Amino acid sequence: MDSVVFEGIGKRYRSLWALRGVDAAFRQGEVVMVIGPNGSGKTTLIKCLLGLVRPSEGTVRVNGQLVGSDPAYRQRIGYMPQISQFPPALTIGQLLEMMRDIRGLDAETVDDTLVGALGLDRQLEKRLSTLSGGTCQKVSAVLAFRSRPSILVMDEPTAGLDPLSARTVLDQAAALRSNGGTVLITSHLLEEVETLADRVAYIEDGRLRFLLPVKEILQRSGATRLAQALPVMLSNSATP
Amino acid sequence: MTKVYKYTLVDLARNRFVLAFAVLMLVLAEGLFRIEGDAMKAMLSLVQVTLALVPLVTLVFTIVYSYDTQEFTQLLAVQPIRRSAILAGRLAAIATAVLMALAFGLGLPLLVHLPGMVSLLLFAANALLVLVFVALGTLLALTQRDKARGVGIGLVTWFLFVLVYDALLMALMFALSDRPIEPWVVPLAALNPIDLARIAVMLRVDLAAMMGYSGAVYQRFFGSAQGILLALGLMVLWAAWPALVAFRVFRRKDL
Repeated sequence: MDSVVFEGIGKRYRSLWALRGVDAAFRQGEVVMVIGPNGSGKTTLIKCLLGLVRPSEGTVRVNGQLVGSDPAYRQRIGYMPQISQFPPALTIGQLLEMMRDIRGLDAETVDDTLVGALGLDRQLEKRLSTLSGGTCQKVSAVLAFRSRPSILVMDEPTAGLDPLSARTVLDQAAALRSNGGTVLITSHLLEEVETLADRVAYIEDGRLRFLLPVKEILQRSGATRLAQALPVMLSNSATP
Repeated sequence: MTKVYKYTLVDLARNRFVLAFAVLMLVLAEGLFRIEGDAMKAMLSLVQVTLALVPLVTLVFTIVYSYDTQEFTQLLAVQPIRRSAILAGRLAAIATAVLMALAFGLGLPLLVHLPGMVSLLLFAANALLVLVFVALGTLLALTQRDKARGVGIGLVTWFLFVLVYDALLMALMFALSDRPIEPWVVPLAALNPIDLARIAVMLRVDLAAMMGYSGAVYQRFFGSAQGILLALGLMVLWAAWPALVAFRVFRRKDL
């Protein structure tokens, strides 16, 4: 069953179309890698889903519900942004409590697996202003998974994380998929994420060039790795 | 809204800028009361200084804080809460933090050295200016993508209200002194929240004479208790309109 559906999505910033005519559906229980060159429209697509950007045309549906002014649909969405910035004077513990409060969750219902797995349980009293970039990313990952989302959006999730923590986060994403969740990941580090991805959405100049299973991409291109397969696919002008 | 308000306030309570503002106001107010033997004279100096300083500090702080917390605002906006609740919580928290600093830095010395109606009015006028400039600063930060540009426009806005507007008003009154400009003086003053605050306080300390012809007009219009309430009411409107526009902008803004 489709959990996220983009229908004719377009976004224009003044005269520039950042996205144009994107039709795509993402299913429950799959991981989709959204890739493309810098400025291709990946982040804008994700922001349309999160309600951060209002599409100029088209619609987005999440579990059948139209993305609009009602924020309730975001209850089931977890988001790990590329840049994590938090109120500097709060402690990690206070931030976790704040976000739990805002989502209206009980302490018992939240998933704190990553707090321990990423070693944040020993740092809950630390002020956010004193954290390194990598630790901020860990906090961001915890926040994304904590509400047990059915849709997870991760923007460059492994950037800034040490290899062990990156693996922990990606394993958690795989576990979410196993439980029927939909995971969307944007990343430039193809090698790191390709083992996890079921399908790849390639966006260029605001248009979706293709949305295909990883296996099919490798099969069509005759390559063994995505990094080698993509140039072949693009030169063959692959279509969805 | 209350959740965003609560945690933003916890964060702001340790903000160095807010703490520095509180200390600066305390040193300034206490210093003036100690240097001047006459508390009322110190009060007059305080009127001039605070009515320029409080809007400046509030405006710059609001703009800088808004830009510095953009990514976190984005994170809040992907939570299942309305954008209006986010903005309301943040506006209220910034205003509360600056007002607390003002209460400590200005309110305390006023209470100690010159308790009474005039001090209360000066504090109320400054408090309303805080609300006005938090709203204006938020609106500016929401409408300008670039931080430097936002701060620049904020400084120009402050300069216009504090100096340029009064200079233009005086030039106009001087140029048209032989004509009946009386009906225009009050509406023109109402276009500047800092002027409204100054008028409300000055009339209470009975210094309208120092304000010349316009002072006489103000005295007639704002001289009563109702007049002062009207001036303060107009300031509330000055806080309301940028806040309302900011809500409208934030609801539609691409983050």
